[in-house]
Amino acid sequence: MKKNNFYIGSFLLLALSMGSCKKEFLHPEPDSILTTANFFKTANDLDQATIATYSRYQARKPFDYLIMELPSDNLYLSANAAIAAAFDIDALTVNSENNTVLNFWNNTYNCIFRANSVLVNIDKPTNYKAGQKEQLMGEAKFLRALFYFDLVRIFGGVPKVTKPLTVEESRATPRASQEEIYQFIVSDLQDAITNLPATMPRGRASKSAAVAMLAKVFVYRKDWNNAKTYLDQMEQFSHSLVPNFSSLFKVATEDNAEAIFSLKYTDGTNGHTLSTAFIPNGGAAGIVNRGDEVALPSYSLWKKYEAGDTRKAATVSEDYTPPSGGASIKYPYVSKFAVQHTFGSSGLDIPVIRFADVVLLRAEVYFNLNQPDKALTELNKIRERAFGDATHNYTLADIATEELFYDKLLLERQLEFAYENERWFDLVRTGRFVTVLATEERGFNFSSQTPNVAILNPQPFEKVFPIPYTQIAQANPGVLEQNEGYTR
Amino acid sequence: MKKNKAPFLLLSFLLGCLSLMAQNRTITGRLTATEDNTPLSGATVTVKGTSNSVPTASDGTFSISVAPGPVTLVISSVGYTSKEVPVAAGQNSITITLDKSTGQMGEVVVIGYGTVKKSSLTASVSKLQNDKLDQIPVGRIEQAMAGRLAGVDVIQSRATPGSAPIIRIRGTGSIDGGNEPLVVIDGFAGAGLGSISMNDVESIEVLKDASSAAIYGSRAAGGVIIVTTKKGKAGKPKLNFNSFAGVSKPILHNDWITGDEYYQYAIKYQNREFKWDNPANDVTIPIWGDPRRPVSRQVNPILNNGVNTIWQDAVTQTAPFQNYNLAVSGGSENTRYYVSGTYKDEKGTIRNTRYTQYTLRANLEVKVNNVINFGATLNSIYAKRRLSPQRTVDYAKYPVFVAIQNPDGSYPKAKDYWSAGPVTSQANPMAILEGTFLTNEGMNNLADVFVNVQILKGLNFRSSLSTNINYSTSERFAASIASNTGISNGSAGDSRFIGVLNENTLSYNTTLNGVHDISSVVGASFQTNNSRNAAIGVVAGSFRNDIIHTLNNALVDPTSTNTFKTKSNLESYFGRINYGYKDKYLLSASMRADGSSRFGPGNKFGYFPSASVAWRISQEDFLRGHSVISNLKLRASYGVTGNLNIGDFSYLGGIGGSTYTVNNSLVQGQTQTSFGNDNLRWERTRSYDYGIDLGLFRNRLNITFDYYDKRTNDLLYSELIPGITGFTSSLVNVGDISNKGIEIELSSRNIVRGDFRWTSSFNMAMNRNKVLNLGKDFEKIYTDVQGMSWILRVGQPMFSYFAYRSIGVFQNEDQLSSTPRLAGTKVGNPIFEDVNKDGKITPADKVILGTFAPKVFMGLVNDFQYKNFDLSIALQSSFGGKMYNYENQYFQGSLLGAIRRSLVQDQWYSEQEPGNGKVPGSALSTLAFQAGSDLYIEDASFLNVRNINLGYTFSSSLMQRMRISNLRIFTSVSNALLITSKGFHGYNPQGYTGSEYMPGFNDGSEPLSRVITFGVNVGF
Repeated sequence: MKKNNFYIGSFLLLALSMGSCKKEFLHPEPDSILTTANFFKTANDLDQATIATYSRYQARKPFDYLIMELPSDNLYLSANAAIAAAFDIDALTVNSENNTVLNFWNNTYNCIFRANSVLVNIDKPTNYKAGQKEQLMGEAKFLRALFYFDLVRIFGGVPKVTKPLTVEESRATPRASQEEIYQFIVSDLQDAITNLPATMPRGRASKSAAVAMLAKVFVYRKDWNNAKTYLDQMEQFSHSLVPNFSSLFKVATEDNAEAIFSLKYTDGTNGHTLSTAFIPNGGAAGIVNRGDEVALPSYSLWKKYEAGDTRKAATVSEDYTPPSGGASIKYPYVSKFAVQHTFGSSGLDIPVIRFADVVLLRAEVYFNLNQPDKALTELNKIRERAFGDATHNYTLADIATEELFYDKLLLERQLEFAYENERWFDLVRTGRFVTVLATEERGFNFSSQTPNVAILNPQPFEKVFPIPYTQIAQANPGVLEQNEGYTR
Repeated sequence: MKKNKAPFLLLSFLLGCLSLMAQNRTITGRLTATEDNTPLSGATVTVKGTSNSVPTASDGTFSISVAPGPVTLVISSVGYTSKEVPVAAGQNSITITLDKSTGQMGEVVVIGYGTVKKSSLTASVSKLQNDKLDQIPVGRIEQAMAGRLAGVDVIQSRATPGSAPIIRIRGTGSIDGGNEPLVVIDGFAGAGLGSISMNDVESIEVLKDASSAAIYGSRAAGGVIIVTTKKGKAGKPKLNFNSFAGVSKPILHNDWITGDEYYQYAIKYQNREFKWDNPANDVTIPIWGDPRRPVSRQVNPILNNGVNTIWQDAVTQTAPFQNYNLAVSGGSENTRYYVSGTYKDEKGTIRNTRYTQYTLRANLEVKVNNVINFGATLNSIYAKRRLSPQRTVDYAKYPVFVAIQNPDGSYPKAKDYWSAGPVTSQANPMAILEGTFLTNEGMNNLADVFVNVQILKGLNFRSSLSTNINYSTSERFAASIASNTGISNGSAGDSRFIGVLNENTLSYNTTLNGVHDISSVVGASFQTNNSRNAAIGVVAGSFRNDIIHTLNNALVDPTSTNTFKTKSNLESYFGRINYGYKDKYLLSASMRADGSSRFGPGNKFGYFPSASVAWRISQEDFLRGHSVISNLKLRASYGVTGNLNIGDFSYLGGIGGSTYTVNNSLVQGQTQTSFGNDNLRWERTRSYDYGIDLGLFRNRLNITFDYYDKRTNDLLYSELIPGITGFTSSLVNVGDISNKGIEIELSSRNIVRGDFRWTSSFNMAMNRNKVLNLGKDFEKIYTDVQGMSWILRVGQPMFSYFAYRSIGVFQNEDQLSSTPRLAGTKVGNPIFEDVNKDGKITPADKVILGTFAPKVFMGLVNDFQYKNFDLSIALQSSFGGKMYNYENQYFQGSLLGAIRRSLVQDQWYSEQEPGNGKVPGSALSTLAFQAGSDLYIEDASFLNVRNINLGYTFSSSLMQRMRISNLRIFTSVSNALLITSKGFHGYNPQGYTGSEYMPGFNDGSEPLSRVITFGVNVGF
C-alpha cells in the first residue's frame, strides 16, 4: 500500500510538473521571420523597406507591357501565348473580370503599400546618417508618385491610399477624382525633388528622376508652363542623349548619361522575363535557347521605320536565326530587350524614364508654348541621333499645324519608345486611339507582301480600363464606382 | 457490496501479490478452433479477476497455475470471440474451443487513448484487420485501404512509386486549412503513414464521426486514422518471412496516330490554322515549300519520315519490384517483443524512376512487476526516391517523327528536324529522363517509451514520451541536354523535423454490481514541432560540366539559398467516460481542450466536446434469441472537432525578404509581406452521426448504416480583401461548409459448407458537400491561366468547375455573326450557351459543371476458401466525379505533337469536314475557348478490379515435418480490370495534378499499372 502511495504521489507530481508549462509554450517567438512588432525600428530597417519597394516595382515592371503596350498598335499576342485575359486586351474587348487588369491593380497597390510603410514609419528610427531620412522619404514619395501615375493613366481616379489600411477601412474607401490623384502625384514629386540628393547609386532614384517625372506629369496635364519650369531644371543635371541608340539596350552600356532612372536587374540571380517574353518559341541564336514568344511586333509599327533608322534593328528584328544556327528566316520579333541572357532571368535594365523622353517632352511643351522653332530643334535631336546625321530632319513646314506636329511627335515617340510602354498612353492622352487603332496591321506575309489586318473597334470609354469587378464586390456596396461604359 | 468494492479490490490485489506463496494447483488444457479443430497458438489464457495469464503453445496446449477452488478462465485470441470457461475445483484438465469472431462481436476496436469492444462502440469507427493485406503488393498503407472502408475515399492521384495518395474521410470541410486526416501510429498523433511498412501493421481503425475523433480535438476534423502495429505474444518465438516480387506494367493509351495518317492529320490541322489566319487564304497552295504559305502554316515532309516514335511507350517500361520482410516475435509472461525488418525496391513505370525503402521496427514490452509495465518502440525508415523530372504528358506529347536517340548517342530535338517550323522547342523526352537526376531521400525515426503503473485494480497511470525525427534531402541536377533551354541547372535542399510528444493519462475501468461498466480516462498532452529547411540554388548554366552533379561544380545563387526555421506547440487536456448498463445502454462523453501556438494571443485554446449514445436492442429480452435478428444496435452521436492546419505564426504580420540590384550588385531588402490577424482562431466542425448495426441469421449477415451531418464553421479561410490594402487575401475565420452523407457496410458469410467458404464485404458511401456561407465573399473563383475556373459559391459544392457550356461548333461566318459569342471567336470554335439570354457571351454565362468529388463510391471484397486454396477479389468503384482532362489538348495537333485518334477523329476541320458537330477545332491560339468550357471535363467514374489474390496454404501435417508453422504461397494481380467511362481520355480516373484549390485538374498524371506478383509467406 505504501508502495502504491509512493507511485501515486510521484506520478501526480510528474503530471503536475508537466502541466505547469511555461507561458512561452503557446507564445513562441519565430526564429526566421521578423514581425511588424519588431521591424521598422532602425535606419537600416527603413532602408531595407525602401529597397523592398523598388524590388516590388521591379517585379511588376516586366509585365507592364501586357496592359500598357498590348492594346496599342506596336504589339500583338502570339498564338503561343496562353494567357486568356491578354487576348481581350489585345482585341480591346476588356471586361471588368479581366485577370491581367486585376493583377495590375493588386500589384500596384502592393507597391504603394510598401512605399506607405516607409513613409508612416519614417520618424521611428533615431540613428539616421545625415540626410538619410530625407533621401528615404524622397525615394518613397517618388516611387509612390510613379505608382499613382500608372494607376491614374490606366483607371482614371482611384482610391487614394496614403497609409496602411485595415480591411474595414479599405472596404469603405471610395475612388478619389482623377484631379485629386494628379494633385497628390504632383505634391509627392515636389517633396521628392526637395528631399532627394542629386546623385544616387544606379538603380535608386535621384533628384533628376523626380524632376523629369514631374515635367512629364505636367505634360499629361497639359500644364505647359509648369512642365517647362521642370524641364528647364533638367539643365542642372548632366544628362544627355547617348550617340548610339542601340547602346541603350546593352548590358555593358546600360549605365549611361541618358538613363535618368532605370530598374536594375542581374542576370540569373535577379533577372526579369522581358528578354525571354518576345523571343520566338525556339529561342534565338546568341540570345537564349528557348523563347516564350508571348507577343510579336505589329507591322503597323515596324513598317514605319525608314531606311537608315538605327532604331529599327534595335527594336524589331525581321530576321530570325534559330539557336542551332543555319539560315535565318523572315520571322519578325521584338529585339529591344534581346540581349544574351539566362532563360527567364535577364540582367538588362528596364528604363523608367530616359533623357530622350525629356527631349521629346520639351518639343511638345515648346510647341504648345508657341515656340515651334525650339520644338523643331528638340524633335530633330532625336531624328539626328536615330539616323546618324541631319538628312532626315524635319522642317518647320512639316510641323506647320498642331495636327501635323502631333503626327510627327507621336510617330517619333512611337519609334523611339516602342515597347517602353508609352504608345498606348500617348494615343489616349491625345484622343487619337479611337481612330488610330480602328485597324492594326499585325503579322506580315512576306511572300504576298500583305499584312494580316485586325479590325478593332475601340470605343471612347476605353480610354481607361474597367475597375476590376472583384474590387467593387469586396468594397462595401456602392463604395467603388465602375468606369463609364463598362458593365458590372 | 458497493461500498466495500475498493477494499475488496485492494485485497484481491494483495492476494495477487501473495499468490505465489499460496497452495496452488495446475490446470492443463488444449485450445482449438471450433470450425476446423486446428490448434490455436499464441492465445491468452487468463484467470478471471487476476493478472495471472499464460499463452498457448503452438499445439494449442497450455498449463496454468491457479488458486485452489473453482476458477474461471478467460480465453482470448485475435480473430476469435473471447470465452469465459468455469473450471470446477477438482477439474485439472480441459479442452476449449473458440469461435471465429465472425460477427465481429468480440472484436476489440482501438479508439483514441484506449480500446473498446466493437459491441460496445457508440461511435462510427471502421476497422481494417491486416489479414493477408501485407501479402498484396502495395507501395503504401493507404493503397491497402482503398475500397475497403465505407466513407474513406483513397485517391491515388499520382501513380509514381512512393507517392502518397490523398485520403478524404466524409468529404472535405475546409478551404484553406487542409482536409488531411490525423494519423496516429501506436498513440503518436501526427505521424505520417509513409513512415511505416504494411508488414508491421496489425490493424487500421478510422474514426469517422466527431464523437470518436473529438478526443483528438484540434486536428481531427478530417477524421482520424489509427494504426496499431504488431506486438509480440507470449510463447515460443515466431519467425515470419514474407516476400513478394513481380512486375508493374503501365496501362497505356493505344490510339496514337503515326505514319502517313499522322502526316495527313498535320496537313488538315495546318490548313485550318491557315484559314484561321485569314479566311481569304487559299488552302490549295502546296503544303510545303511554297512561299505563299508562311512557314508556320506549312507541313514539312519530314513528318512522314517513318520514324514513328510513340513517346508514351518509349518513356515507360514494365518495371520490376520486390519486397522482403522478416519478423521475429515472441516473449514470456513478463517480456514481449516484436522485431521486423523490411526491404522494398520498386522501379517506376516511367523510366529511371525508383523507390527503395529500408524499415526496421522493434517493440518491447516488459512487465516489471504486477504494478509497472514498461514499453518501448523504435521505427526507423530510410527511403529514397528518384522522381520523374516532368509530368507524363510532357513526354507523351512529343512528335512522332523524332527519333529516340541518334546512332551517335545524342538525342535529337523536334527543332533539329525542322528548325523554323511550328514544332515544340522542348528537349528530347529521353534526354530529359536520362539527363535529369531528381532524388529525394529521407530518414524517419519514430520512437516511443512508456511506463504504465497500475495504481489500483482498474486504475492505471500511463506516461509516454515519443519522438518523430525526420531528416530528408532532395537533390536535382539537369544536364544541358535535359533542359529545354540547353543549359544545366541544379539545386539541393535539406530539411529536418523534430516532433516531441509527451502524453500522460490516468484511466479507470470497473464494473459495478456486474451491470454498470465504466471506463474513463483523463490526460494531458504536450507536443512540440520544430523544423528547419535549407535550400541551395545555383546560377542556371553555371555547372562546369555535366559529369559532376553536386553543387561544388557550380556557382551558388545567393538569392535562392537560405535556411529557415519554424515551430509550433500544442498543449492539450482531455477526458472521456464510457458507461454501459448491462451492455445494453451505452453512453460515452469526452472533452478536449487544445491550446496551439498557431493562433492569435487571445484565441490559443479551443474546446472540443462530444457525446454519444447507443442502445443494443438485441440485448433486450424481447429480442434475445430472436431467430432472425441476432444483433441490433442504434447509435447517435454529436461532437466537435477542430483544424489547425495553417502555417506557423500565420496570425502575425510577417516581414519578408526581397532583392534588388543597386550599382550592379545585389542588395537585400525587407518589408511587411503578410497581413496579420490577431483574432485567428480554431476552425470547428460540428457533426452528428446516426447509425444502425444489424446482425442477421446468427450474424451471418452484418449491416452497418450511418447517416452523418457535418458542419464546419469559422473556416480558416483566405478571405479576399480589397487590393488597396496592399494584399489580396487575409486568413480569417469565416464561413460554413456542410457535408452530409450516408455510409453502408455489409459483411456476409455467403456459404460456409464443408471445405468451402465464401464471404463478402461491401461498402458504399455518398457525400453531399455544400458551401453555406463565405462571409463577405459570396463566391471565390480560382482560375488557371488557360481559363478553367473552380468556384466556391454559396449553395454549391466546394471547388465546382465553373466555365462556359458548349452547345456546338460554329460552322460558317453567317452562323458566327448571328450567334452570341466571345470576342475573337472564329468559325470552328465552340458555341457557348448564352445562359442569361442577353445576346452576349459574358462571364455571367458561366455555369457550374460538376466537381471532382464522386457522388458515390463503393468497394466490394469477396473471399473464397476451398480446402487449402484462398482467393480474394477486391473491387473499387466511384461514380459521378468529373475530371478536367486539360492534357487532352496536347494530343489534338498543337505544335504538330503526338496525336490521339480518339481526340481528333471527331474534330471540326472545315465546314466540309465538320466532325461530329460537338468537338471544336483546337489550336494553341484558340485554347482559351476549349479550356474555359466543359469541353475537357470528362466523367471520371470507374470500376476497378483492384486486386485478385490467390493463395495456397500448405497443410499443417506437411509443415510440421519441416518445422514450419505456416506456409502460404500466393499470386496476385492488381488493377486487373479498369473500366472507365467511354468519354474518358486520361490514364487514371483518379489521377490529377492540380492543387488543393483545383481538384480534378489533370495535366500529366501518370498511368496506372497492372501489377503481377508472386509471393511466399512462411512462419517458423
